[in-house]
Amino acid sequence: MRFSYVWRELYLRRRRHLTAILGLAVGISLLVILQALAVAYQEASRTPLQEIGADITIQRSGDVPQELQGAVFPCSAVTIRKQEMEQISRLPGVRAMGQALLLWVFDKDRFTMVMGLDPANGLGPGKLRNFVVKGRFFEGEGLQALVDGTYAKEKQIEVGDTVTILDKRYPVVGLVDGSRASKIAVANVYLPLLEAQEMAAASPQVQGVSPFAIGDVNLVFLVADQEAIPSLAIALKTALGDKAAVATPASFLRQLGNLFALSDKFASATSCIVMTVAFLLVFKTMAGGIQERAREIGVLKCLGWTNKNIMSQLLAESLALCLLAGIVGVCFAGLVCLGLSFQELHIPIPWEMSPTPHFLPGGGEPVFKTVFLPVHLSWPLVGLALVLSLIVGGLTSALCIGRITRIKPSEVLRHE
Amino acid sequence: MNDSILVATDISKTFGVLEVVKGVSVDLQPGEFVSLVGKSGSGKTTLLALLSGLERPTSGQATLCGKDIVAAPEDELALFRRANIGFIFQSFQLIPTLTAWENVAVPLFPVKMAEEERRERATTLLRQMQMEHRLDHLPGTLSGGEKQRVAIARALVNHPQIIFADEPTGNLDSQTGQAIMEILDGLHKQQGMTILMVTHDLELSKTADRMLCMQDGAIVA
Repeated sequence: MRFSYVWRELYLRRRRHLTAILGLAVGISLLVILQALAVAYQEASRTPLQEIGADITIQRSGDVPQELQGAVFPCSAVTIRKQEMEQISRLPGVRAMGQALLLWVFDKDRFTMVMGLDPANGLGPGKLRNFVVKGRFFEGEGLQALVDGTYAKEKQIEVGDTVTILDKRYPVVGLVDGSRASKIAVANVYLPLLEAQEMAAASPQVQGVSPFAIGDVNLVFLVADQEAIPSLAIALKTALGDKAAVATPASFLRQLGNLFALSDKFASATSCIVMTVAFLLVFKTMAGGIQERAREIGVLKCLGWTNKNIMSQLLAESLALCLLAGIVGVCFAGLVCLGLSFQELHIPIPWEMSPTPHFLPGGGEPVFKTVFLPVHLSWPLVGLALVLSLIVGGLTSALCIGRITRIKPSEVLRHE
Repeated sequence: MNDSILVATDISKTFGVLEVVKGVSVDLQPGEFVSLVGKSGSGKTTLLALLSGLERPTSGQATLCGKDIVAAPEDELALFRRANIGFIFQSFQLIPTLTAWENVAVPLFPVKMAEEERRERATTLLRQMQMEHRLDHLPGTLSGGEKQRVAIARALVNHPQIIFADEPTGNLDSQTGQAIMEILDGLHKQQGMTILMVTHDLELSKTADRMLCMQDGAIVA
């Protein structure tokens, strides 16, 4: 095998090879783009949960409270018992667990979304520790509250002020930027979990819908082994009953309602079809090339090249051609992915996960988490594309062996 | 007869129902320059293919440089040709994407040797053919005479025992053809090269030591 022969064959007969290179490049780029998009949608579907540091969120739906007075449960989030949480924590695949308590509090003159969070647990709303924009996070015992920055601006609340919830005054120790967190697990005012639990336990409206005791919550966040998430979702449904709402990246992917979201098999199937067409195109070009070069192959045989020598040369040409096509395809795919990465993707948040009541302005409207499509070329994908290009080159050469061996050295004399 | 470089006995070649070569026997001694003449369609090119191992006869025996070229497998024959035979064709049959020196070195590409040695051998031969100024030119930029000189250099690069030339001047003007014949004659006379040349030109065939006349697939004289 001789590299200069390979190079000049490709360069000097570039017109003949251009079709094959472009055909395979298009195939490779489509494959890469489809796979990158499939991965991007999967990655995007993880964003809402990733922002609260969880892989799974668990809620349980219940009845609408009789009266909207005092502290009530949103009908999409009623009691999850302490014993149930202990049971969940023992499920295989669960690596960490966090919890929170979301309450709608109807005071005489205002409505407040209150969330109780465990200051010692960094999961779920505990991530707010990273989003304190003014003041501090919860420290020590005693009454204290964090207020969402937007809500604080609207109500002109500052650090050092107090917020009154159900006639109890909580000093504001910090302001948090909830907009940087996900649109799930957010509230107007954040209290230590125990405070919120006491509030819920004392509320007749809460107890009337769903019995609640100190230690219970209504939002659970899990960090789990990635491969265990699907089976864990089923196990959680089984453990908590039909009314359990288990949100996983897959459920967000389904919400996207996109072809890519429907099934990553779509991308694989389309890629297979595209690659088959590209393979046939390359094979046609190679076979045509061998037909055209029958005299040249005859000359080589005549001059003492064995079938193996000729096969090595043509294999090298085919591999070089396909590798070139692969590189072109990957570069093109890279440009397309770069363009696509500026596209916004609106991930619908299921209504039951939105903390805003439907009766408030904007509460009934669909909620979306907007992200830029996280599409990019990963090195494994680039590697796969180039390896596939080489496989196409190798296969086409292998399929041409028969044609090459059938060419006789006396072919050279036929053209005299 | 044991000294013969080429012995063919009663070889025939049939394509379908057409018998192109009919029971031909040939004997070439080392250092002989033999021309094979005949009209177009007389079967001389087919006979050259049979005698050089490019084509297998339908019947008969042929031994070239001590090798039974009728029974040997294809790849074995390829290696045999690489080691023992040089070919010169009417249409030069140069590889269009390779330079002059690379074309000369084509038979050496599959051989394990240093690139410098390969180039040196090709360059030396091209220099002998007064082609040193065209070493890195592609065939498309060479004249017919230059192409044939490159082809002759290629035929010699593997130090062959015998050269088969098929109408080596057929695509050249008379002056260039004459120059090419002088090169072949020089190879025969100065280096003792065995040459079997196919030609339809009786005048050119007189350059050879011996002439074989072919008519309707048989040698008549």
